Amino acid sequence: MEASFPILTILVLLPVASGIVLLLLPKDRTELVLPVAILLSLLPLGATGWILYEFQTGFGGFQFVERSVWYEAWGVGWHLGIDGISLFLVALTTFLFPLSLLASTAITDRVREYAASMLFLEAGILGVFVALDLLVFFVFWEAMLVPMYFIIGIWGGTRRVYAAVKFFLYTALGSALMFAGILWLAVSASDQLGGPTFDFTELLGVEIARTTQFWLFAGFALSFGIKVPLFPFHTWLPDAHVEAPTAGSVILAGVLLKLGAYGLVRFNLTLFPEATVELVPVLAVLSVIGIIYGAVVAIVQSDIKRLVAYSSVSHLGFVVLGIFALTTQGLQGGVIQMVNHGLTTGVLFILVGMIYERRHTREIGDFGGLARVMPLFAGAFLFTAFASIGLPGLNGFVGEFLVLMGSYLTLPVYAIIASFGVILAAVYLLWAYQRMFTGPITVKENEGLADVGFREAAILLPMVALIVFLGVYPKPALERIEPSVQGIIDRIELTTDYEAPEFGVEADLAGEGDE
Amino acid sequence: MTPDSLDVLAVAPEIAVTAGVVLLLLVEVNTDLGSRAWAVFAALGLGAATGMSIWQFVAHHEAADARTFYSDMIVMDGFGALAGMIVFPLTGLALLGGWQLATSFGRRGAEFVSLVMVAATGAHVMAASGNLIMLFIGLEVFSISLYILAGYTRTREDADEAALKYFLLGAFASAVFLYGIALVFAATGSVSIYGPGGIADFLGGVILTRPGILLAGIALLLVGLAFKVSAAPFHVWAPDVYQGSPSGITGFLNAGAKVAGFAALARVLTVALESRIDDWAPALAVVAAASVVVGTLYAIAQDDIKRMLAYSSVAHAGFITTALVAGQAGVGDMWFYVATYAVQVIGAFTVVAVVTGPREGRAPLDAFAGLGTRAPLLAATLGLMMLGMGGIPLTAGFVGKAAVFQAAIEVDYLWLVVLGLVAAVAGLFFYLRVIVLMYFREPAPGPGTDTARPSVGLAGRTVLLLTSAVTVVFGVAPWPLLDLVRDALPL
Repeated sequence: MEASFPILTILVLLPVASGIVLLLLPKDRTELVLPVAILLSLLPLGATGWILYEFQTGFGGFQFVERSVWYEAWGVGWHLGIDGISLFLVALTTFLFPLSLLASTAITDRVREYAASMLFLEAGILGVFVALDLLVFFVFWEAMLVPMYFIIGIWGGTRRVYAAVKFFLYTALGSALMFAGILWLAVSASDQLGGPTFDFTELLGVEIARTTQFWLFAGFALSFGIKVPLFPFHTWLPDAHVEAPTAGSVILAGVLLKLGAYGLVRFNLTLFPEATVELVPVLAVLSVIGIIYGAVVAIVQSDIKRLVAYSSVSHLGFVVLGIFALTTQGLQGGVIQMVNHGLTTGVLFILVGMIYERRHTREIGDFGGLARVMPLFAGAFLFTAFASIGLPGLNGFVGEFLVLMGSYLTLPVYAIIASFGVILAAVYLLWAYQRMFTGPITVKENEGLADVGFREAAILLPMVALIVFLGVYPKPALERIEPSVQGIIDRIELTTDYEAPEFGVEADLAGEGDE
Repeated sequence: MTPDSLDVLAVAPEIAVTAGVVLLLLVEVNTDLGSRAWAVFAALGLGAATGMSIWQFVAHHEAADARTFYSDMIVMDGFGALAGMIVFPLTGLALLGGWQLATSFGRRGAEFVSLVMVAATGAHVMAASGNLIMLFIGLEVFSISLYILAGYTRTREDADEAALKYFLLGAFASAVFLYGIALVFAATGSVSIYGPGGIADFLGGVILTRPGILLAGIALLLVGLAFKVSAAPFHVWAPDVYQGSPSGITGFLNAGAKVAGFAALARVLTVALESRIDDWAPALAVVAAASVVVGTLYAIAQDDIKRMLAYSSVAHAGFITTALVAGQAGVGDMWFYVATYAVQVIGAFTVVAVVTGPREGRAPLDAFAGLGTRAPLLAATLGLMMLGMGGIPLTAGFVGKAAVFQAAIEVDYLWLVVLGLVAAVAGLFFYLRVIVLMYFREPAPGPGTDTARPSVGLAGRTVLLLTSAVTVVFGVAPWPLLDLVRDALPL
């Protein structure tokens, strides 16, 4: 559906313009920078609100489409669009940025550059989610690394340089092969389309030979797998998450990781369906290893930020498992779980940041009995932990339930193993809660800690509200995701001999029903 | 317009620059006007040459309008004209960046400026020549000027060493190139690229049963030009020469040699030897692969930024060569990469010259620690150039890489593209290292330049802003330039 109004272009350009405005603010008024940045970051949120309002339910294709050719000889164009899969990721992005900026008051050095980097990062992320031209997508994908690199490298913790460089090189290495794949796709399309094209919707019409699909799938999946991160490409994640400043961690865990999972859904499943169907076991094994491994490693962490970081590895494993279950429920669960994880982990990182600002330590052993002095804070932590574990009534339950149900249809063994991840999540989060918040206060410095203040409450409340909303009433989200997800499954069924099992009908796992 | 006047117009850029040089020297000898007069004549000469090149392009870039002059010695086509449109402004940029260096020589500065301009003339002759002997003359005019410039400080021993090394190895490479011409002449009976009976004409119409001599000739031509553009394995001179020569002019040594060398390489390979593409393309692919790998690996280990940039220029020579394996189809992509890379080189070396002193040779990386707080403009420019050379999107470096890799994929050199992309990522390691030093580290306490706040003059500031603007503008909206270079095919 064509857009009458270039809302997506505006959505991407708003943060860029805001960043430039920030850089132009008078040099001696640094106290203005953060408030102005927060206000400006509300603009994309407003635009997203409009998109959510105008978004048509029950339509699986792209909406708000903008399309114009940039350079004929290369087949490059400015092609943007949004569907049920990207809609809530865009919403999550624009929702998290104002809050993370609000949680950035601890940044005092070079605030202007910091806030501008955050806004440029937002533009890059939004660009990735709405770009439907592979070259434009890749430009956003790579360009986004630069502001994130500076956010970790300048405003991060003690090992920030190591973490920043590792983050950059890891991600860039993954994308190198994807870039070769993108170029190859564009050039080879000219045989069938009469000219090279990077346009995603046109490339869907190109038939790709089976073996080629495997190579291209591998190139794309490596790039996305590193970003997700999929075991065994996760080693950059703990470093980057732990060393990044609070807002950086929130954005990294909340949104950046989703880019990888989004890429898998958007490109791998649709462009290389045959390879997808064949490689399901590989991806399923890796994601289940990620679920269990991430959870087990999280249990033994003594640093609460590292614990949350490893929990991301586990949770994103669920997302990827849901995606490669290749069922409507699994995919739907994967997509909604991306949003859920963005919210819950975002809150957890913000809480960790708050306690770090008070005590300048993140060692679980340095705390104990905090619930006595900070009851609200403890309550928020426990609440989010429950959401993250997947307690019914909170958002995590919806996603994990759909993922497990969807993957049980096609990958029952993996689903059963994965469900232990839920139990392990309860172990690491509740054990951490117990050690940090219950019992008597063991360390003297903790006695005078202030509870959640007004600004902090303003950050936490919207997120908590959304966690409850999505847990109690996920229908508005699910009914918008479903048609787009169904379209992907339909496409896989159309182009391969794969058949997604009907829910409620006994799965034909052994394939004996083939006549 | 009579044919006679056209004859002059074919070499009008050369005439303009040479006239500028002559006037500059005359005025310098007879008056006391000093560096202002140099600036005026350099600007007039290079400006006029740029203008003439643009005119040549507008009037003659269509294949129907392109033609040769002086018995096929000089070609006026989109290719040669574009080379002029790149070389002369680039020279102006390099002179602006090296102005501090030029004026620091006192009256000898006039000769310094003249030599840079003469080198630019030679570079353009290399691109516009239609005859291998003419090309050789251009090559020598260009190279000999550079040998002198490399050692222009005279008093500093490592600069002398750099100049001597450059001269000896360069002369050797020229000899190899000349021998290549001789062998090609032996095989084809001509040194002219164009015209009836010229190399292209002969090879296009004859099947050689025993092409050994021709192949040896091609190999030697390739070696000679690979030396000039510092492609591996003929690159060993580059790090020493770059490190020894005065920082104020090192950028020009690198950028000028890339533009001129690749222009010559493209014309010789894709026009004169077009019909032998199956012979030279694989060899070129090997040179490209060796260059990106060797350049990247060695650059990682450097602790002097000029040596690092030297090895990085080896890697870039490899990336640019990647475009040429596609033959004429890759010429436009080659131009885009060369032009934008040359600008980045000038920008980066201008920063280096300001930070470590324009007359100095060595530029240890430690001198850049904490530059982000000490000199924000310098650090921002160098950082941008590093991102550009690293091929990060929204800089011209990314578009250049996309262009050359696309050209190579179209002729099925996928292995070379994958290798190049992996090398490009490995290359990020040392480009990021500079950024890490400038922004993530505090300057090491101690005497000397570590805590100084280097200041940029007006000329330097202009260079920084222009190079940054080019890098960003052609990174965000490269389409007009891509269209332009598509038109710049050789006759």
